[in-house]
Amino acid sequence: VDSASLQFIAFGLAVALVSNFSRSRVWRSAVLLLASLVFLGLLAHNPIVLLPLAGFLLLGYSALVLIERGWIRSFAWILAVVIFVYIWLKKYTFLPEGIFLHSPYFLLGLSYIFFRVLHLLIESGDNREKSHIGLGAYLLYTLNFTTFVSGPIQRYEEFARDQFAAEPIALGPRVIGLQFERIVRGFFKVNVLAMLFNMVQVDALAQISQPIPSSLKLYAAFRLAVAYPLFLYANFSGYIDIVIALARLMRVRLPENFDRPFSASSFLDFWNRWHITLSTWLKTYVYYPLLMVLMRRFPSSSAAPMLGVFSFFVTFFLIGLWHGRTSEFVVFGVLQGGGVAINKLWQLGLARAMGRKGYKALAKIPVYIAFGRGLTFSWFAFTFFWFWASWKQIDNVFTAIGALQWIGVWAAIWLCATIVLALWEWLRATLLSIKSSDGPVLTSRYARVVYASALGLVALVMTILLSQPAPGIVYRTF
Amino acid sequence: MNDSNEVSLENKKEAKLPRRDWILLPMISLLTIALLAGSTELIAHYMSSGSTTDIADCMVKNDPQHGARGIPNCVCWGKTLETEEVEYRLNSHGFRTGMEWGPKEPGVYRIVMIGSSIAMGYRVARNKMFAELLPGEISKRTGRKVDLYNKGVMWGTPHSITLRFDDVLAAEPDSILWVLSETDIKEASALLPLQEPRMSHAEPANALDRRFGSLRRFRMALATESIPDAIGDMLKNTGARVLLQHYLNESQSQYLKSYLSGQEEAGFLRAEPSAEWMTHLHEFDYYVGEIEARARAAGVPLVVVLVPDRAQAAMISMGEWPAGYDPYKLGEEVRTIVVSHGGTYIDILPDFRNIPNPEQYYLPVDGHPNAEGHAIIAGLLARELTSGAIPELRVHPPAQQSTLEQRR
Repeated sequence: VDSASLQFIAFGLAVALVSNFSRSRVWRSAVLLLASLVFLGLLAHNPIVLLPLAGFLLLGYSALVLIERGWIRSFAWILAVVIFVYIWLKKYTFLPEGIFLHSPYFLLGLSYIFFRVLHLLIESGDNREKSHIGLGAYLLYTLNFTTFVSGPIQRYEEFARDQFAAEPIALGPRVIGLQFERIVRGFFKVNVLAMLFNMVQVDALAQISQPIPSSLKLYAAFRLAVAYPLFLYANFSGYIDIVIALARLMRVRLPENFDRPFSASSFLDFWNRWHITLSTWLKTYVYYPLLMVLMRRFPSSSAAPMLGVFSFFVTFFLIGLWHGRTSEFVVFGVLQGGGVAINKLWQLGLARAMGRKGYKALAKIPVYIAFGRGLTFSWFAFTFFWFWASWKQIDNVFTAIGALQWIGVWAAIWLCATIVLALWEWLRATLLSIKSSDGPVLTSRYARVVYASALGLVALVMTILLSQPAPGIVYRTF
Repeated sequence: MNDSNEVSLENKKEAKLPRRDWILLPMISLLTIALLAGSTELIAHYMSSGSTTDIADCMVKNDPQHGARGIPNCVCWGKTLETEEVEYRLNSHGFRTGMEWGPKEPGVYRIVMIGSSIAMGYRVARNKMFAELLPGEISKRTGRKVDLYNKGVMWGTPHSITLRFDDVLAAEPDSILWVLSETDIKEASALLPLQEPRMSHAEPANALDRRFGSLRRFRMALATESIPDAIGDMLKNTGARVLLQHYLNESQSQYLKSYLSGQEEAGFLRAEPSAEWMTHLHEFDYYVGEIEARARAAGVPLVVVLVPDRAQAAMISMGEWPAGYDPYKLGEEVRTIVVSHGGTYIDILPDFRNIPNPEQYYLPVDGHPNAEGHAIIAGLLARELTSGAIPELRVHPPAQQSTLEQRR
């Protein structure tokens, strides 16, 4: 039940149904808490393995209570303790092996709980007046089964606004229909699209090391690089589609986590569209505070742009680093941070050379946008080798063909991504331009029923009739 | 259509759904499903059309005294989504072999091959079967004239072989080559194929039934099964399913993942055979004992080979497999059984380590070796048979290149 399986969806729909037996916030909260505990129990099997997670939750709540009671001078220490315990439980490799717990324990969801707890602590540490968060509300927020496994990372105010509303948000046939369509779409993405992209990637990985003609190796390298970002998008965004729809059926709006990321025309824009809640969280709690500190330290206005570049690098380096505990993720972080920093420098450089107006005009030229989109995809695909592969696999892949051949492969990826994504954008815009009195035909409920039925049929055929196993949700391991 | 658009759509004022939509939307959904399923099935049917018979039409399948056997001089054809039309032309004794039974020519070494569908070259043209290629391969290596009388038949299970073994010995073999698959071991004691709901010859199919085989099977299944079971069977037998499965099974990774997730199907690949598989092996042991004893009494050596299943070949080639599995395990079990009764076992499984993506030499859904697979098997068998498995055919290295080695 920790993936986008039919069981998970059935569980979520059953909870949503029971939750709607009454509009009372007490009832809805009781159902959500019970469902989340049942969900946790189904995942953990043995309650003993949940103790470290329970300890972390208790630590977080104790810290919250201390800060609420005015221990603001110890705020930094409290924060440091929470962060250290998280790192310790996650067994980051830079800590000595001897200090870790050696009996197996339950880690799933810890990273997302960590973000929520930290968010509560930081917000409580602000001088603004905050209302007290009770233990029940705290547990509901941190253990909510719709966001437990892989997010999205929701702010507490947004959660409380819907969950504890005296008059919950409307839930009529149209909204229910939209959610069902979204669940079908998400299920299709995870169980069909992601499965197919994963199949392409794994086969290409096996093929690239085989004694085959170099033309086939180049083709394998191309598929290997291109398939993973598409797989991850289908895998992660499909899961997010499902949980957002399930939560909405329980009258809670979760934040969007993706906004057509491959339409981004720059790497900076990409991170506004990919795993939005994570990048927003880090921008809020790392980028802006760091930039403020640096600007106070180096008040020169000429230094400000470079301080921004540096802050971007640190923020996105941390995003990369967060994904894993091994040295591969350090490189992944450097490549993410480097990508946004170079992107920012490029923008600053062009603005300086062409003037702001000139640069803005350039950024509106379709060809420039198309090539930017292709380059963004290519860079993202390149960085992902340090995301899914071990150093041994990276070595195997990059030595399978020569350096010049790799350059050719990346050039081909850039060109193909430019053309394919431009065609995709054009097709989408064209289809959306076909309108009726209610808006675009493509987003009408009739069109949605057509493609939801088609996608649902294909997904059920793949999962039930053909018993094709799809990979688990990648982000559940983080 | 994007994720953020959802929010704006939801934020529109929640108006009542027009009454007509409560009828219209389900109708649109049903129509979409019907159109999609129907059109896919039609495409699949178009791709596999051209043959209304199969090897089953050339078989006697209801004789428990002798097991399944070929109808003498029968000719039938089979075409699937995965293969071109294949002719099955049986000789006057009901075997798919180019030679008629007759006394051996002087100086000719005669191998009589027994086995089931793989031995009889199911889904492969006769001139591409390893049974046809093998004599040439061996002659090339040994310089001896070799003929091979192929007595492999569909559903030629170990039990049914014991019932016909006198016929095998009557063919004057110098040695008997028994080609096995995991299915032969799993169905060691079976005599007749499982009766599928199928229209008999006495009840000719109408034009619509012939065009839509799934509907025909569904109609027949309804007579013996519950409606959900019949629907399940019909869906499993649709052309669309086969078409999709074919493309998915072409991927080594997805095929293996899917295959190993089917507990029952992959039971023979388990490192620790289940109780069910132990029973199959005990039954197989019994029939091997009987066949080997009768061959020995006739003074004919028995040589046994296990041809790997498609998934087994892929796992061996990849060199890694999930914990709890062992693609070599069944071969070791068969070797132990055969050797314990005094027979000779030749092991071609390790050779698949050196064949990249060997699953491409099998039909992705059907699972039988294709023409290239047969050529590879012929090369491997020739090498093993001339390396001492049959002393009369032994050649000393350097041996001539086999088909497999030439392929590399």
